[in-house]
Formats: sequence, C-alpha cells, structure tokens
Amino acid sequence: MKKRSMMLMSAALALTAVLSGCGGAKDNNAANSPGASSPAGESPKKNVTIKMFQFKVEIAEQLQNLVNEYEKETGVKVQIETVGGGADYGAALKAKFNSGDKPDIFNNGGFSDLDLWLENLEDLSDQPWVKDLVKGTDEPMTHDGKLYGMPIGVEGYGFIYNKDLFAKAGITELPKTLSQLEDAAKKLQDNGITPFINGYGEWWVLGNHFVNLPFAYQADPNAFIAGLNDGSQKIPGNEVFENWTKLFDLTVKYGGKNPLQTDYNTQVTEFATGKAAMTQQGNWTQVQISKTNPDVNIGFLPMPISEDAAANDKLFVGVPNNWVVNKNSAVKEEAKAFLNWMVTSDTGKRFITQEFKFIPALTTISATEEDLGALASDIMKYNQEGKVLSWNWFKFPQGEASSKKFGDSMQGYVGGQLTKEKMLEAFQSTWDSLKK
Amino acid sequence: MENARQRKLYQLLFIGPAVIFFTIILVIPFFMSLYYSFTEWNGVSTTVTWIGIENYKKIMFNDPDYYKSFLFTFRYAIVSVILTNLVGFLLALLLTQALKLRNILRTIFFMPNVIGGLLLGFIWSFIFVKGFASIGELTGLAFFNLPWLGDAPTAFWGLIIVTVWKGAGYVMVIYIAGLTNVPKDMIEAARIDGATRLQMLYKITLPLIMPSITVCLFLTLSWGFKVFDLIMSLTKGGPFNSTESVSLNIYQEAFRNNALGLGSAKAVIFFLIVAVITILQVTLTKKREVES
Repeated sequence: MKKRSMMLMSAALALTAVLSGCGGAKDNNAANSPGASSPAGESPKKNVTIKMFQFKVEIAEQLQNLVNEYEKETGVKVQIETVGGGADYGAALKAKFNSGDKPDIFNNGGFSDLDLWLENLEDLSDQPWVKDLVKGTDEPMTHDGKLYGMPIGVEGYGFIYNKDLFAKAGITELPKTLSQLEDAAKKLQDNGITPFINGYGEWWVLGNHFVNLPFAYQADPNAFIAGLNDGSQKIPGNEVFENWTKLFDLTVKYGGKNPLQTDYNTQVTEFATGKAAMTQQGNWTQVQISKTNPDVNIGFLPMPISEDAAANDKLFVGVPNNWVVNKNSAVKEEAKAFLNWMVTSDTGKRFITQEFKFIPALTTISATEEDLGALASDIMKYNQEGKVLSWNWFKFPQGEASSKKFGDSMQGYVGGQLTKEKMLEAFQSTWDSLKK
Repeated sequence: MENARQRKLYQLLFIGPAVIFFTIILVIPFFMSLYYSFTEWNGVSTTVTWIGIENYKKIMFNDPDYYKSFLFTFRYAIVSVILTNLVGFLLALLLTQALKLRNILRTIFFMPNVIGGLLLGFIWSFIFVKGFASIGELTGLAFFNLPWLGDAPTAFWGLIIVTVWKGAGYVMVIYIAGLTNVPKDMIEAARIDGATRLQMLYKITLPLIMPSITVCLFLTLSWGFKVFDLIMSLTKGGPFNSTESVSLNIYQEAFRNNALGLGSAKAVIFFLIVAVITILQVTLTKKREVES
C-alpha cells in the first residue's frame, strides 16, 4: 500500500525504533502508568491532549488541519505523530509502548494484528458510528463479537490500465478472462507498448496483494484458510493456485524488464508516464499518478485467472487499516469522542473524502468522483455492484511474517531460482511453520 | 595528594558522561536482550514467558534462513574488508604523493562518509535502477544493462560497490595518517641502499603502518558484520532473500515475525561469533606491529 512509499522516513525511524525498542523494554514495569503525560486526569474535560500515532504519511498534513479544526470547535488538543511504512510502523509502535510513551489513538491492521494488540484495545462496539459501517468492513477488527477499531476507509486494487494506450493498440473490449488479457497484452506489444510494469521488487506487491488472489478466488476463502490451518487443505495441487500461476507467468512474460528491482515508486512513475499500459496497484496510487501526469486517463481492470468472465470480473476490496483506542489511556473517552466527531461532523466527513481521499467505510458519508478520482470511483462502482473479492493477507499466520516469506518465494520464482512446484511447496511450508 | 584528587575529578568529569551513556544505551540493553533471549515474547504483550534455552535450540536445529544469512554476511564481510582496505590503501598511497589536488581529492574521497548509510542507499538505488539503466540505453554496454538490484549475484556486487565506495575514504584517512608518520630517514636509507619501490613498500612502509592496518581491519570487519542500513535501503534483503544479512534477519524475526525473544537469541549468538572473530583479528595483527 502507499504507506510503504515512504520507506526513507520509515526506515530511518525503524532504526531508532530498534534502539529505543531495546532500550525501552526494561521500563516495562516502571512505565505502567498509561497516558501519564497527559495533563488532565478526569474525564470529559477541555484542557486535554490526545496523542495520536498514525502511519498514513500521505494524510499527515491534512490530518493536522483536521485536528486544528477540532481544537477550534471543542478545545481538545490532538497531537499527531506520523511514522510511515507497514512493518516499521509496527516496530515504532512497539517501541513507544515499551518506553511508556503510549499513544491514545493508533492504527491496527486487524485479524492477526488485532490478536497481537488485543490486550491494549478498547472495545468500541457501543460507539454511535458502528451501525453505519459498510457491510463487511467490521470483520478485521471483530473479536468474540466485539468491535475494537474504526475502519479508516476502504481501498481496492486490481490492474490499473491506461485507457489511451489501450485505445492506441485498438483494444475495444476490456479483457475479463485470462485469454482475453493475453490477447490484449499481445496487441499492446505489437504496437510497441510494454503491457505490464511489475513492481515485484516490493515484497508486499507480491506477498500481500498478488498472493491474495488464489486465496480470494477460493469458493470460501475463510474456510480454505481454516482448512490450511487444520491441515485439511494443501496449497500444492490446489486448482486455484495452479490457475493463478498462469496469470503470474503472463505478467512476467509481457512485463517490463528487471521486475525484481522495480520498486513502488518506479512502478507508479513508469505507469503514470505511459511507459507501460497496465500495472497491479490500488486506488491509493491516484494522488501520485495525477501528480506525475495530470492528463493520464486511467481505470481498473479485473485480474482474471481463468476463462470464466463472470467469476473473474471482480476487484479486491478491503479495509487497509483501522483506528483503535488504547484501553488504558487516561483520555480514552475524549479519544472516542474525537473518532466519533471525525465520521459524523460535517467537517470530519468533508476531510475524509475531499482531503484524505478515502473511500468512506460508513454509509452516512457520501463521496463523488470529483472528490476521489477515477480509480476510487471504479472501486466504488464495483463495490456497489457487489463484484468484489476479499483481502486475506491479514489472516495469514502471523500476518506480515508469512507475507514476507511468500513474497521471497515469488521473487525466487520470477528470478528462476524456484520452479512453480517448489514455489507452491514453499508457500505450504511457510504456512505450516508459522501457524500456531 | 591534591593532584591525585584533582586527577580523579577530571577522570570522572571527562569519562563519566560517556560511561553513563554507554551503560544506558549499550550495556543495559545488552543484558536485557540476554534475558529476553531465554523468553518467548512478542514485543507487545505484558506476559513474558521464560522458556529456557528453547530459542537457542530452535535456531540451532530449525532455522535454515539464519544460516543462509550468516553465509551471506561472511561472504559480504570478507569481500568488503579486502576491497575496502585495498582501495583505501591505494588511495592513501596516491594522495601522500606530491599532487596539486591532494587536499581536494582527500576531501572528495572522504565525502561519502558524511552521508548516512540510509541516504546513501537511496541515492545508490536510484543510480542502479534509473541511472545505470539510462546509461545502458544510451551506450548499449552490457555492464549497465544488468539487473543490478534485481538478481542475486549482481545485488551482492551492487552492495559491495556501495560499501567500498563509502568505506574506502574513511580507511584512506587512517592510512594517510599512518603513512605520513613513516620516518623519512628510513625510506632515504633504503633508497640509498638501492631498494626498489616495491621492496620499500613491503619491508618498510607496511610493517611501520601496521597499527593503522589493525585499526582499519577491525573497523571494516565490524562494519561488514553489522551491515544493516545499506541493505535495508538498497535491497531490503531481496531478491529472494539473497542479500539478507544477519542483522536484517534478526530485525525481521523480532519485529516482523513478532518474536522478540527468538530475535534476541539470534542477536546473542551473532554477538558471540563477531566478538570471537574480531578478537582473533586484533590479536593477530597486533603481533605484527613493530616499533619504528
């Protein structure tokens, strides 16, 4: 996801996090006075400060503007600290908790990430906004029937394609099956256009998003994952995985050169400047693409793995992350009030759609194409028609631990060190070694 | 008496702060990770379970990735130590000659050290991915068209290039200091006796700058083993985990796999091995130092 694009910052912070992580952990006992640094002890008071620790680098500035508005309205201060990057945010957050500087509001990915942090999280089931959540968006943060987080929005991914390049190659009908996709790629190539730019240098492009396909295309992804966990299902030999490798081969065959050193930034810039016609990414790239090339004409294509057009014409939509409240915070009531204000007040709603460019996860917030851009409106269209498949990588054993290893194996496959069979076996052994 | 007390005071004043920081930042965390290496802890939970030597057993018998990262680190450390010192020494030799641009060149070669490792990694990843590719397109030279960070063997050499480029300037300065301290009369005497330049280098210069060599080897060796930021920013251990150093492996274990206990155990093992190697190296080269 786009958060990783700020590797520089996050990696730098990760280093400090390593240091402070080690140095801080000893204070575990001494620092058990949660939220001690906030000036007010008693609940609802005006003169309090809520500490917010978040990872969306892209919205850091806008979020600051939002909390300034909030302070004007209510007098409650919200202090924001931003650390970008998936795993590195996690490391920094751990360091913060262990050093006693615990934030009141922070981010959580849900599923296995929820299990990890559960003992620190406040139950938000009784909040007023819960009833308005878009169906399914509460799934990542639900544990034993209780809801522990507020989805920050909805995101989706698929193949983003360049409409002008498609027109130039004479592709009139959008590919919805694997063979149609190959035909389109051929046509593009015949016209001197690189069909795909693959960001396979990023482990999460492979290990989160791409490997999600064979899970999401299962008849029942959750049952399949449960089956893997109890040993009744196997990845090698699974038909969906076999089909999926065909799409994998296709993207490599018709892809730009050196996919393994193409990082996120290269991938998005090359695509935005028209050097390739398709790329696997999500709607979070909108801001960067329009900044690089404001005139580019883009939309979403499904990622087909078979010849069944109806089953394949889908995008992958899920909740990228959630806001959670620290259960032991002295200002947790204020924190909850702020989150509520963010999704119910007109100011908050306006910020979510027009400033953050999030696809709202609440039915009470409406967004238009002008607000969010072409990519998000494609996602919303697919979403409304129910043509969506789920995100599953947070359900992998220990989340990112598996994803990283899946990504490694897939890089090995692209680089020729692993055969297809070996890659699928590696998936299986990764799963078996990390499941609890 | 007064003098002795004053000296004590000075010692406290000058060394005290360093000792305090050293203790807080290095000694205490070291013993803490020693403790955590015997526990199972995910880094978040308040329960830390004592599991004895389970972690160590797991690493010994059940962690091929850790061994792989060790292999890589050794390979990387050895190659980078040799090349960094070689290049640094040659630069030093060159820049102790009477050159007009001597001082400017010294500054230029030292410059990469002023830039932090992470930043350097990002600059070089741009050079490898974008710069080399454009040069390759223009000239058609195969060297520039290689997938520098996208293939296991080239990624290794890519890392080496950056490491040498960064480290050579630093050891160069140390070697220059050593070289300028070689007494002129000895060189002169040797020249009068008819020694060739190479003989003078081997028989006089090298033995006399042995202290510099000790320091440089020690430094580059420990840099090589501890390498983290460069790899983090250049390849992130990829592709296919082929450039994962031990420190990166430890970091991944502790923070991505949420196994801080296991990660600590790995760190302790790593510490022991690196300590043994550097002690060996220092004693070996110390023996060869001579007084002029």
